[in-house]
Amino acid sequence: MTATDEQTAAQADAPSDSVTGGISRKGLSVGTVGLLGAIVMGISCIAPAYTFTAGVGPTASAVGTQVPAVLLVGFIPMLLVAFGYRELNREMPDSGTSFTWATRAFGPWIGWMAGWGLIAATILVLSNLAGIAVDFLFLLISQISQNPSVADLASNPFINVGVCLLFMLGATWISYRDMQTSQKLQYVLVGFQLVVLLVFAVVAIVRGASGDAFDPTRFDIQWFDPFAISSVGALVTGLSLSIFMFWGWDVTLTMNEETKDPERTPGRAATTTVITIISVYLLLTIGMIMFAGVGTGALGLGNEGIQENVFFALSGPIMGPLAFLVSLAVLTSSASSLQSTFVSPARTLLAMGHYGALPPKFASVSPRFFTPGYATVVAAVVASAFYAIMRLVSDTVLWDTIAALGIMICFYYGITAFACVWYFRKQWFDSARNVFFTFLFPLIGGIILFGIFVLSLVESWTPGATGSGSQIGGVGLVFILGVSVILLGVVVMIVQYFRSPGFFRGETLTMAAPESLRRR
Amino acid sequence: MTRAIVVGFRPTNSGSDALALGVRLARSAGAHLHVVTVLPREGALSAAVPPERSYETHIQKQARTWLRDAAGRIPAGVSHSGHVRLGESFAEGLVEAAEEFGAGLIVVGAANGGLFGYHRIGSVASELLHSSPVPVALAPAGLARGIDADTDVSRVTAAIGTRPGADVLLDAAVRLAAMTDSGLRLISLVPFDVPAGLGTGAMRLVDDALGEDVLARASSALPEGVDAELEHAPGATVEEAVARLAWKPGEMLVVGSSRLAQPRRLFLGSTAAKMLHVLPVPMIVVPRTSHDPLSDASETTRDTTTDTETAKGADA
Repeated sequence: MTATDEQTAAQADAPSDSVTGGISRKGLSVGTVGLLGAIVMGISCIAPAYTFTAGVGPTASAVGTQVPAVLLVGFIPMLLVAFGYRELNREMPDSGTSFTWATRAFGPWIGWMAGWGLIAATILVLSNLAGIAVDFLFLLISQISQNPSVADLASNPFINVGVCLLFMLGATWISYRDMQTSQKLQYVLVGFQLVVLLVFAVVAIVRGASGDAFDPTRFDIQWFDPFAISSVGALVTGLSLSIFMFWGWDVTLTMNEETKDPERTPGRAATTTVITIISVYLLLTIGMIMFAGVGTGALGLGNEGIQENVFFALSGPIMGPLAFLVSLAVLTSSASSLQSTFVSPARTLLAMGHYGALPPKFASVSPRFFTPGYATVVAAVVASAFYAIMRLVSDTVLWDTIAALGIMICFYYGITAFACVWYFRKQWFDSARNVFFTFLFPLIGGIILFGIFVLSLVESWTPGATGSGSQIGGVGLVFILGVSVILLGVVVMIVQYFRSPGFFRGETLTMAAPESLRRR
Repeated sequence: MTRAIVVGFRPTNSGSDALALGVRLARSAGAHLHVVTVLPREGALSAAVPPERSYETHIQKQARTWLRDAAGRIPAGVSHSGHVRLGESFAEGLVEAAEEFGAGLIVVGAANGGLFGYHRIGSVASELLHSSPVPVALAPAGLARGIDADTDVSRVTAAIGTRPGADVLLDAAVRLAAMTDSGLRLISLVPFDVPAGLGTGAMRLVDDALGEDVLARASSALPEGVDAELEHAPGATVEEAVARLAWKPGEMLVVGSSRLAQPRRLFLGSTAAKMLHVLPVPMIVVPRTSHDPLSDASETTRDTTTDTETAKGADA
């Protein structure tokens, strides 16, 4: 927790202390991550195979053939907010990220909710990742054994939930023990994922163009025109989903001192990663639309039955006997992403425990594995319970959690962007660079994200406008999910205030704004 | 130059056992104790987890608290210091620390969940036993909570065989006994060196003849003025032989590294591994060609001592 404890830590390490610090003679100041390593990390965190299969269906149902346009537009606020992230991370590196930064800028209450938003979003995605992994495990087995009935087992809610909990248990075990996995394996997984996706896209485009397809649709440059989207509501829904599809990319920008060349590596890695991802997404989208169209036919992207998991439905028709490669790519992508995603809520919970925003138990570090042990287990239990309940309530749960997830990401990213703007308020005009990176970019990004947050909540009120159309008492399930997650956060926050008000009185983490560095 | 011992510490039962053994050895031999914990670089060992300095900073602070608590448990009169180090693995960090401090011994505990009073090789010990250039001491589970936790080293037992390296082992045991001012006992585990398939009768013959021979040769190789008890460890298996031996509170067993080990590297032989299952006292494994436990820094470590000074300066 460098941000605020640096001084106390430095005092504690005064020469009188018998405990020496850190670093053996190999030297620490040099980071370990090279350019390729950073790119692989970025792609792996986005997990394109997983994200695409989960995200493209709902996006297509919202904006039809304009998916490429919405992807490109959705990237803009993501980029603007990521600049703010980078500034905050440089000034206050802290495991609590959004939570710590928003608390420093806006005080404990807003900071707490930003932390809650981050944790809720990552827990939602954990449950979704495990759900997708289950589907593709059964699909893979059925493709290899050539027994289609195996794939249907995934739709049996009890088998589904059971296997999903096993996945979750495995991922928790690996995260809790910080199992050593090699960088080579990571490279192979990411490389395999990209190659399979590219082959898939090319085959789909070729077959779509030659007419040997389900619903051959001619490519149209109009697909890239965001203004051709039918309504503002559709645009907003599409945007929040496309933000979900880029989520995780910011890790390349926030790795600073961890890289071998902090001046250049993060920027180059971020650029390369995002160009790779956008190209893959666009090719895939174009390929899928050309092959299957956006109609509601059996394989159409507009078909509600296949939307929450398009690769599941389309890999067989497009790839034929090689379809199992797609299943394998999605399975490995979601399984490895499950592991890296666990870190995020666990470390934020740890930071919140450390500063007293949650009970101190959350701050405990495993004495054997040096991981946030308690926080990891809590995150896993909540994600598992959430998935199990939701799966038994509604079989379109994957879809609705993705829509709710997009809303939660906009919520905490938006707060983080504003936190950047407000925290650096005295330094805005220190330099031309600051005007853009601490003021204009995060401000615009924050406004867009917050706008999407509010508008997509409004949109999701009507069942069917967002998500699967599931409803409770005439109100869309996505709305209920999003709002109840936020309200639950408010309740927990108030409970914590009465149990341990120190954090909320600013005793552990103070508001601040760094002074201007310009000479007066 | 002071003798130095590195203790691999984590705030677990196993870590406490290692600390207790380290304290016993340091007190008996007048050595300086370096209590070391090794954290994963950038916060995680897994390549799937994004590296994060701020998390590393957090666990470093936590680890310092643990080390300070551990220091509080070290009795007065034992000179000690605590160190947080970063490494690709706990074992690798300990070896680096041993080189940095010119330590002649690394002490670790049994794996978690080991039977009380006995050994169970954990991943850290296992890695050390395959890679450490300096002797490694293994503390049995529960040592820190046992009734004789505060005993000094009372006797050093060396398990002598006929294989190459026996002279190095004998030398190490003699020096350890001298340093800790304790008795020396030589035991023969010869029968277990003979080829498998030999009948029991033949075994006994070989055992008696060779065993006496080995012990006699070993004791004649002892330096001037050093006495040793000679003891035969009969039994059908290694486990049985070891189980029949009597052990004093505070006793240490010293064994050699396997023939398969590379020079200056440890490798736990199958005989030693079998002994561990039934051994109720700490065991020190000595590399085949090595400096002795607790000895002054040898040539490999000497060239790093200047670096140590700079590193300390940087730490302060």
